[in-house]
Parts: sequence; C-alpha cells; structure tokens
Amino acid sequence: MKQRKQPGYYPGFSTLSQKAYWDAATRREVEARVNAVPEIRFFTDEELALMSAVCDRIVPQDDRLPEWRIPVVNYIDERLFENRISGYRYEDMPADRDSHRLGLRAIDETARQKHGRAYTELDRQQQEEILKSIHDGEELAAHEIWSRMSIDRYWQLLVGDCVSAYYAHPWAWDEIGYGGPAYPRAYMRLEGGLPEPWEVDEQRYEWVAPPDSISDVYEQTGASETSHHGQAGTH
Amino acid sequence: MRRYRDEEDVDYCLVGVGSAGGVLLQRLAKAGFKVVGLEAGPFWDTERDWVSDEKGSHKLYWNDLRITGGKDPLSLGENNSGKGVGGGSVHWAAFAPRFHPSDFRVYTQDGVGADWPISYEDLKPYYELLEREIPVAGPAYFPWGDPHGYPYGPHPMGGVGNVLVDGCTKLGIRVCAGGPVAILSGSRGNRPHCIYRGFCIQGCKVGAKASTLITHVPEALEYGAEVRELSMAFRISMKDKRRANGVHYYDENGREHFQRAKAVVVCGYAIETPRLLLNSACAGHDSGLANSSGTVGRYLMAQAGNVVLGRFAELIRMYKAPPAHALTEEFYETDPRRGFARGFAIQTVGPLPIAFAKQMMVAKGAWGWGMRRVLMDYNHWATLGVLGEILPWPENRVEVAEEKDQFGIPVAKVSFSLRENDKKLIEFGKKTVMEVMRAAGAEEVVQESRYAHLVGAARMGSDPGTSVVDKYGRTHDVSNLFVCDGSILPTQGSANPGLTIQSLAARTADYLIAQGDKVFDSEERDMTPPPIRRRLAVRDTFAKGVPRVFK
Repeated sequence: MKQRKQPGYYPGFSTLSQKAYWDAATRREVEARVNAVPEIRFFTDEELALMSAVCDRIVPQDDRLPEWRIPVVNYIDERLFENRISGYRYEDMPADRDSHRLGLRAIDETARQKHGRAYTELDRQQQEEILKSIHDGEELAAHEIWSRMSIDRYWQLLVGDCVSAYYAHPWAWDEIGYGGPAYPRAYMRLEGGLPEPWEVDEQRYEWVAPPDSISDVYEQTGASETSHHGQAGTH
Repeated sequence: MRRYRDEEDVDYCLVGVGSAGGVLLQRLAKAGFKVVGLEAGPFWDTERDWVSDEKGSHKLYWNDLRITGGKDPLSLGENNSGKGVGGGSVHWAAFAPRFHPSDFRVYTQDGVGADWPISYEDLKPYYELLEREIPVAGPAYFPWGDPHGYPYGPHPMGGVGNVLVDGCTKLGIRVCAGGPVAILSGSRGNRPHCIYRGFCIQGCKVGAKASTLITHVPEALEYGAEVRELSMAFRISMKDKRRANGVHYYDENGREHFQRAKAVVVCGYAIETPRLLLNSACAGHDSGLANSSGTVGRYLMAQAGNVVLGRFAELIRMYKAPPAHALTEEFYETDPRRGFARGFAIQTVGPLPIAFAKQMMVAKGAWGWGMRRVLMDYNHWATLGVLGEILPWPENRVEVAEEKDQFGIPVAKVSFSLRENDKKLIEFGKKTVMEVMRAAGAEEVVQESRYAHLVGAARMGSDPGTSVVDKYGRTHDVSNLFVCDGSILPTQGSANPGLTIQSLAARTADYLIAQGDKVFDSEERDMTPPPIRRRLAVRDTFAKGVPRVFK
C-alpha cells in the first residue's frame, strides 16, 4: 500500500490550520491530541504488545506514513487507567477494565489453539481471521472466558473504543473531510454538500485495501443490527 | 447567588436542576418561595468547560455506574442522561414537538398503555408558554396533533433535512422543515442565533440551543433561588410517616449534609428519581418512599430510535446544521391496517464522526479496512431516525442493585424488554424510513437498532393503587413530597419528551403556588386546577407574536 501523510479524498485539507478561528478551550483540547499523547499506565507490557497488534487490525494504518499514524492504544489505556466508563454496565458483562483484559486473553488463547502461536506472531491474515470470528460472534476457543462475557458486546466495546480514539483525532477529520470545530466562526454553506471557503472539495481516487485483507468486506456481526454501544443521543 | 444554610428550613428542596427542575426552580423563586436546588453535577461555565468536540463532551453525561439488563437492554449514559445544571436539556438535540391529544387517552382509544389523569387541553396553555420561553423555532403551520405555529421562524435546511423532505415529498408524505426545535433562528436578549456548527448534543457553546441552564436558571437565581452544585442526594428524610422534612446529600468531597425543607420535589429523571425513592425506604415505607402501589421504578419507557443511514452519490456533509431540523409525524397515530397500536415519527439525525463510526460498526458490520473505507465516505451519508412509541410495561423497571457507586449509594439496575406490539411497530417504522431514504435517492440503505430518551418509572394517575403521583405530581403516599420530571409520564407518544417535561413542570409550579402554605402544613389534597400564571413566564416572553392558525 502506498503510504501517505494524509489518505482520503480531501488532499491538503487541514482542520488544525483553522485553529485560530476556534475557541480557546476547544483549541487546547484538540491540540493536546496531537502534542500530548498520554503515556501507557493501564496495560502491562505484554498486554500492550497484544492490544497494539489488535488495534492495528481494527483500525489499520498501513497506508499512513509512520510519523502520521494516529495513537489508538494510548487513549484506550487512558480511559481504562482513569476508569472512565459510559455510565453503565451490561449485566452479562464484567467491568470495562476486566472486559478488555479478558478479551485480550481470549484472542491470544484462540491464536494458540488454532495456530500454536501467540497472536502477535501470526501474519496479518491469520490475525484478521481471529478478529473476524469475534466479529461473527463465533467462539473458536476460550469458551470459559466467553461464558463470563458476551462475545457480541465485547466486539462492540473493542471496536467502539478503537474508533473513538481514531476519529477523535484531527488527522482523521482531514482524512474524511469533516470540518471539525466551528465555534465561534460558524458554517455558512449548509446545503448541497458544498465546502466552506476553507474546506476542500472531494477528489476521489481508486482506494484499494491490501488484497490479502479480509476486513474490507461488510458482513453483519453476531449481534446483527442491534447496537450495544453508548452513543451521544441521536434525536 | 443567595445561599441558604443546611439547617435553614427552606420552603422547597428540589433534587435535580435539569429540564424540569430548572423550570420549577424559576417559577417557585419568582413566586417568592425560598428554594434550593441540589444538583449532582457541576454548574457549567460554558465558555470554559465546553468544547466544540465530540470526545471532549463526555463530561456532560451521567457517567456513574448503572447496571442494564433485560432481553433488550438499554444503553444509558450519553445516550439519554445528563449531569450538571441543565441536565439532559444541555445535550438534547432540541426537537420540541408537542404530544398529540391522543397521547393522553391511549388506553381508552387503543386498549393498551394507560390514560393520563389530564388531557391535552390541560397542558396546552403550558405548551404555548414554554414554546415562547425557550423558545421554539419551526414552521408557521405544524399540521399534526393540534395544529399550531411557532414563534421563531424555521431554520435553514442542511443536507439531511433536504433528504427527508425529498424522500417524503416523492412518497406523498407531509413533512415539515426547519423545526420544531428549541434553537434560536434569530437572536433574543443575550442569546445569539444558531451558527449551524452541528454540535447541539455536545452542549451548545453558542447559547442558541435552549437548556434550562440559560433559559430558566438565570432568572431563578435573580429571584433568590440557590443552585447547589456537586450535591448528590441519597435519602429523603421523613419527619413522620406522612411528611418529609428534607434531603440527605453528599458534597463533592463525600461529606454528608442534610438540607431541611418544608417540602421536597424530586426532579432526577427516569432513573435517578426512582433510585432515590427506593433508596429512601424506611420504617412505614419499607419498599421505598411513595411506593405503596409497588409502581415506583415500573413502566419505564424508552422510544425506539432506529437510525437509518443512506449513501448518496452526491455529497451531503451532514455535520453542518443542527442534527434536529426536519421531521414528519404522519405515522404518529394508530392505524388499524398496520396491525399494531400507536405509531412513530421520522426525524433528521446528524452524527459526528465517532457516532457515525459506531453506527457503521453495527449497521454494516464495519471494521478494519472496511471501517476506514466507509468513514472516508462520511460526507456522502445522510441519517434519519425512527422515533417510535414503545408502550409502558410493568416489567420494564428501575430497581436498586447490590453494587454501590463512588459515594456508597446502591446503584440503579435497569431492565428493559420489548413486547410484540413494540417489535411490530419498530419493524414497520424501520421499513418506512428505509423507503423514504431510497425515495430520496440513496443508493445504499442500512440501519442500526437502538433507543432514544427515557420516561416513566414514577407515573402519574388518579388511582393510588397503580400510580406514584397524582395529576399535579404529588406522591399519593407523602403529602409534601412531589415528583417533577419525565418519570411521571404514563405513556410517551412518539414526540421527543423535552417540551412536555418542561410544560408539566410549569403546571406543577402553578399548582404549588396556588396551594401556598397548605402544601407545608396540611394533608388536604385540593385537586382544584390552578390558575395559569402567565406572568411567571421568563421575562419578556409572554404574549409574543405567534403565527395564526385557522381551524
């Protein structure tokens, strides 16, 4: 895959270039995401290696130049270290901290049972196959863990935490053409998908995932279309 | 701000200064009562505390632990619960439709759910007041329920609103654009007009979207009310079997306090209100305060909130404009041909990237490269929501669990399961919204099943054997204990509940004011309807121009 500073269809678009037009509190919050990435404090070294390998397949960034990759594990670690929860726990789920730890154990156990090796030693496709089995709600191994924790809810917890870190980052906003903070300046062009004078219009190109990947297809998860994740109220 | 000492016997102690508590606090203070509002969360300084950022707005929600279960468990926290002065009105999308006249007699009409102890006509004057006070922007002619017009003009359209209007128009479905939403389309007083930045549910830093933090609390303070932030109530105290005399609470350092009061009003919303009543169990009220009927915590409701997402060849950029800006209530009423009771509304939704990614995780099963790919198309997607009426069932309830929160207070356990009518309604609503999306020209349409809002769990009714409070919010069991929030709703319609919650609060205020000292020193239950005190409306909002509707 060709590595770019900024993948996506909005070349040259930069939300951060507009920060002079943001309010001070927002500017501090968003700049910290680029300049003050939190240290790892929750995961052990072993867990960190495994979690990083998992996150690399949940939100792969092989198409980003290494210095333009978005930190994902650090933000999951920060949330768990601070024990910041979303206000609830499913009765068939352990606390978020335990769920993440148990999930990592289940992933590694599945790798060892299926391939006789640690998850981190598998090739990408083998790693994806194991994650895909959780996506599908299929318990290949680690039955003891899945008897204590819903596999479908774990999948939504894991993917939900990964995308919450990735799409909170201004570089991800640039990638998808999202305008980002707009207070106090406002948006002016509300209709027709038109860009503000400071936004960039879409310039599509043939975007191809690595040919050996199995994550670039859309199939229903084990939970079907039922949402288990928290989400800021929709309407 | 005026401050009362704990041992000072104030007239009213309110627990919760949110959507309902904020309105009640303002009315009672303006009428001259000594009133303190205990609020579990902070008193926001919006410029300092709030950000134009999805992730950075997590603190607006009720994030303390609750347990959720049942066959169709609800997600809580950011999905439906606020914490801090203004409560849920800080992060609502601000759709502000009224309930329909039929909502007040669901049992009589459809043989399901419950009738309200009041009619639409009882609440109508308060709808009219609140629509001016907060105020609501929308079309000059709103055709559903009791047709009416809005005092502030409709908002300009965003990409998603146009999709809803296009789809509905192609299918011959009536639809209205630009509201009704409690967002200023023109400035008023110190409040600026909307700037269309799309962060309504992250807290409106602009001050254009109504929350009681800016609509009612300022005037409450001006008239001598106290708002005591970071004060977590954990037990209502009883003087004797029939009378409450104050509220025990923890301050931010976990220190215990007791605020004396001549009457107590619980305004904690559909989970914290029953939790507090249940946790206040004492001799003579062994199963919880105001719970002689056993209905405290029962008949909890959430609305079906399925999100339907459609991809368009052209760009939409749905992050611009308020997520709430167009809707249709054409499917609101019971239609026997559909095979289920009651109905649903269709509304615009405008998820920001993180919420959209989570929706794609479920709706398309996206992850890995597929997640990256579909998010690169974020600007091509439009999102509409079902807002469907789920009926009140006794098994959908709030209880207290063994687990404790950070203060050592037993947490709420919430159970939720759908019954047959609910499932049929959701299926029909989902299919209808998908048809609208396709009619608008979407080339791919997917959906995610979820829920929106919470009401019920301390319902009002005329029969003390099957309800918690009477039609003014007074508990049947304790004559100086009231509930004033969404938990008193017997049914929920398919309108967003915010305006109705605030209108009921204004009505309860009029009742308390009319009763005067009788609330404090008599057990008499005078059910005479109170006069409507329009002059208690927030300053300069009463009798302002509203479009004429000829019937």
